[in-house]
Amino acid sequence: MNSIVHIPDGFLSTPVWASLDAAAVPAIGYMARRAQRDFDGAKIPMLGVMGAFVFAAQMINFPVGVGTTAHLLGGALLACTLGPAAAVVTMASILAIQALVFQDGGILALGPNMINMAFAGVLAGYLPYMLWGGGRWRRAAIFAGGALSAMVSAALALSELLLSGVRMTLSVLLTALALFLVAALMEGAITVAVIGALERIQPNFIRRPQQGRPFAAGAVALGALLLATVGVLVASAAPDGIQRLGIQTGIAARAQSLISTPFAGYQAAFLQTAWERKVVGGLAGLVLVTCACLIFSRVAARKRSA
Amino acid sequence: MHQIVLEQWSRGSSGLHRLDPRAKIVPLLALLAALATAHRSLPEFSALVFAALCLALAAARLPLIPALARAALVLPFVAAFAAVCWISGDPERAVSLTLKSYLSALAVLTVVATTPFAALLAGIERLRAPVFLVNVAQFLYRYLFVISEEAQHMRKAASSRGAAGRSWELGGARFHAAAGALAVLFARSYGRAQDVHRAMVSRGFNGHLQPLFDLKFGKADAAFLTLASLAPLAARIALERLP
Repeated sequence: MNSIVHIPDGFLSTPVWASLDAAAVPAIGYMARRAQRDFDGAKIPMLGVMGAFVFAAQMINFPVGVGTTAHLLGGALLACTLGPAAAVVTMASILAIQALVFQDGGILALGPNMINMAFAGVLAGYLPYMLWGGGRWRRAAIFAGGALSAMVSAALALSELLLSGVRMTLSVLLTALALFLVAALMEGAITVAVIGALERIQPNFIRRPQQGRPFAAGAVALGALLLATVGVLVASAAPDGIQRLGIQTGIAARAQSLISTPFAGYQAAFLQTAWERKVVGGLAGLVLVTCACLIFSRVAARKRSA
Repeated sequence: MHQIVLEQWSRGSSGLHRLDPRAKIVPLLALLAALATAHRSLPEFSALVFAALCLALAAARLPLIPALARAALVLPFVAAFAAVCWISGDPERAVSLTLKSYLSALAVLTVVATTPFAALLAGIERLRAPVFLVNVAQFLYRYLFVISEEAQHMRKAASSRGAAGRSWELGGARFHAAAGALAVLFARSYGRAQDVHRAMVSRGFNGHLQPLFDLKFGKADAAFLTLASLAPLAARIALERLP
């Protein structure tokens, strides 16, 4: 499941990879400076060895369903144990090693991959923990963090591919999103289980959520979340996408008659409503997914404590 | 582990191995950019790049077929994606995705297989990548094999106790066992990291890694860098201006 979101070179169009590479430099650089401050510069071995741990964690398979296995992706787990900035740096160096040594993800696509998985993924995974990690919703928050981290990374990667002009039929797109959702729920469950086991070994591995400046980090993470959904929306709402969507859902005939009417206003109105519908639909979907995550994790947490 | 092959390859003594890492990284980026932006005449350009990379591998005295096979590690993912494109009625893009991603992987492999990894990262650091990030990557690579081996031992131990069974009722128990194993691996890695840090501090580590080799950027490196960076550009201009 892991390699689904590692984008190789040659997949993204030049504007997409170039702008995301340009965005990744200050984003990762800022996080590296923060991590260096937190860790006093001298804890480099800690981040490196914990990165190796995330790598090795791929070898331990979790049984999910019949005959299929999943493994830890690790963004949310690292954020809860090392802190968000250190987790971003660790994930970024993992991605660099994967691209160089394992041919897993491209070099020009390193910026996009770092933004997806290291930056947005880790921060989105840390957000629920930061907000509710202290209270009685703790397990739910950890679960939501793991799920959100995987989902945001995957959604961002998908939207970048769509923005690059890769055409997907609606059914393929929905299948991909469903697969990502399943993977995200697994990541949430695995993260909760591992953190639970870690706390039994030694409780102070897990960082208490920082109370100091929750607003700035929260805003960044929320921004990442919004970017993810809006990105998918914008990408799938590109002219090409609208046409395909129209064909798929069978409104093509109606749309054609609308567009061919001499009144130009109709066309604009049609596009506008389609756009609005799409935004509303996307946001409603996000709310539904979030609610499903929360309910599922609540039930899981109750079952375990019972 | 198969990555160790890469370690062996990177310790050769050919001219390509002896070049400064920077003289290989910059042309690699130029080549990747040229590949990523190629539209027209992509098949011809790909053939040219493929031939050039094969020549480079031969000049570095690396085994050609294993190297080509290793770069093909990207292909399963690419093939799945290309199939999606093909089904969606875009066979042209499917072909170009496959060509570009395979050749990019082969180009990266050529550089990584001719440069020891520590030197490669040192070169990346000299090209103004964030020092902290590069140092973390250095450690990650060093301990990757140690921790992975530990994970393999744990997996072997677990399966020798019968964890490989596939019964559905035991799914929950196996899930928790895997979580416990990961937690133990985490704790061991954390403890090892602390030991490593203490040992390094006792030997005078002050937050800076001092490599035991020195990178020297000579005239030959400069010449190679210039020529190899301009070559993909020149090739593309020549191909696209051809009638």
